[in-house]
Amino acid sequence: MNDTLHLMTVYSKTTARAWFQYRVDAVLRSLAVFARESTGIIVIYFTLLKFNSLNGWNIYELLFLYSLIFLTYGIMIIFFTGLRDFGNMVREGSFDRFVLRPRGILFQIIFVNSDWFAAIGHGGLGITLFLISAGKVGVHWNIYNALYYLFAVIGGVLIQGAVFLFIATLNIYLIETGSIKELLYWNVRKFAGYPISIFNKGVQFLMIYIMPYAFVNYFPAQFLLRKEDMSQYPEIYLYLTPIVGVGMYLLAYAFWLYSLKYYKSSGN
Amino acid sequence: MRITPYVAYAKKNFLGRSAYRVDHFLGILSTCLQFFIFYEIYRALYGDAETIDGITMSMVTTNFIISMGLGMVFRPNDFFLPGKIWDGSISTELLRPISFKGRMIAENVGDSAFNLIFKFIPVFLIAFFTTGIHSPAGIFNVALFIISAVLGYGVLWSISFAVQMTAFWLINIWSIVTIKNVFINVLSGSMIPLWFMPEWIGGVLKYTPFSSIYFTPVQIYLGQLGTAEIVYKCFIQIVWIVMIYLIGDFLWNKGQKKLIVQGG
Repeated sequence: MNDTLHLMTVYSKTTARAWFQYRVDAVLRSLAVFARESTGIIVIYFTLLKFNSLNGWNIYELLFLYSLIFLTYGIMIIFFTGLRDFGNMVREGSFDRFVLRPRGILFQIIFVNSDWFAAIGHGGLGITLFLISAGKVGVHWNIYNALYYLFAVIGGVLIQGAVFLFIATLNIYLIETGSIKELLYWNVRKFAGYPISIFNKGVQFLMIYIMPYAFVNYFPAQFLLRKEDMSQYPEIYLYLTPIVGVGMYLLAYAFWLYSLKYYKSSGN
Repeated sequence: MRITPYVAYAKKNFLGRSAYRVDHFLGILSTCLQFFIFYEIYRALYGDAETIDGITMSMVTTNFIISMGLGMVFRPNDFFLPGKIWDGSISTELLRPISFKGRMIAENVGDSAFNLIFKFIPVFLIAFFTTGIHSPAGIFNVALFIISAVLGYGVLWSISFAVQMTAFWLINIWSIVTIKNVFINVLSGSMIPLWFMPEWIGGVLKYTPFSSIYFTPVQIYLGQLGTAEIVYKCFIQIVWIVMIYLIGDFLWNKGQKKLIVQGG
């Protein structure tokens, strides 16, 4: 155990050192990720200056809804960069090294690399949006709400982590999964910044039951904000985020363990 | 100057693009999704209102179809020059008896021609049959729209050209390119129709090239501009192309003297 902790520290140190070797570039890159991810926010902001509300949600409520996506992604990517880039590892054959080392494979993937630019860019944006909106959405912040928020964030991190783990696992069967990830993850995410109630039933179904982004931000935000459009969904969904997160993660992890047996190196 | 090698480069890129089928369909799907998201958002925003500030929902839809569609066609390769500097192949490229800038344009024109036929048209048809599109103000407007769209492409290309030139000094320009694209996405009207921008932004936009890219063609298509205004706006487009190109060209000449090739 002690040994594992030591290994974790060493890995984290080398990763941070590698990422921040070129300081100016590191600052610029984090800034660029921040700016790129802000695009959607700026668009919402300008739109709402004109229209005041979107299906009953005002600008602060929308920012609050958006903040959860960035915050959870920022935390998730610290751990799961290795899974995001897993396809490359398999294609180049560098994954073989992990298989041979005397440590858990997932442990190594999680701690060997962290995309700090993405973490700072996304996470920083999430925190910024939270700070701007949290005081203005009429949420009475007590210990009960704060605990709920904490669990919702953990659940959101697990949901997104599970999706990454699931897609990474597919790499064991298929060499190229970039387009599946684009389709399943990034495209669906484009909807997630808005209250799902404005979309048609098909998109809503997708976001609740297939790629359950709604549990990352919509339902947790609804628990705290209680907007009218919640009436079309079962009340229980407000409480499911942590369960969906743990459940999905366990499923993805089981799929991963099962699939590892079939791993064949692409190396030569 | 002989034109044949440039045509060959354009053709090479046109054919090369057809190799990546999955990538291709995903590009179409992704743009359609983006379009439907904005469509649904504006439907929710409009509610029962017929027009807002004299702009109808169908004009908003048209703005999105045209600017996103053109956005799919206009895809300057922001990493063309930086890529050649990274791997050192710029040194051999410069020795070739053809213009490097001419080749940049030619390759991009090849890409764009491919995108026009195999991306723009499908997206346009999908949007046409699902949401409908405002009909053009007249045949005259369609002709001017095409001219203005080509000029818009010129503006977008020259911005990319000038930004790429900074690679001579910075080596890694991913961050700058990304930030440039944020400006284009937000201010060109492809994510928020410029009619609905706050007034002060409209004032600032007059002094930037961003509204010349997609919004001028959209306005011409919808017949929002009189003849004099159309001539003026197209003239502005040309001014931007020349100005930004000259800045890029200045950097290009400076940069070559400064060029350090790492390895080879």
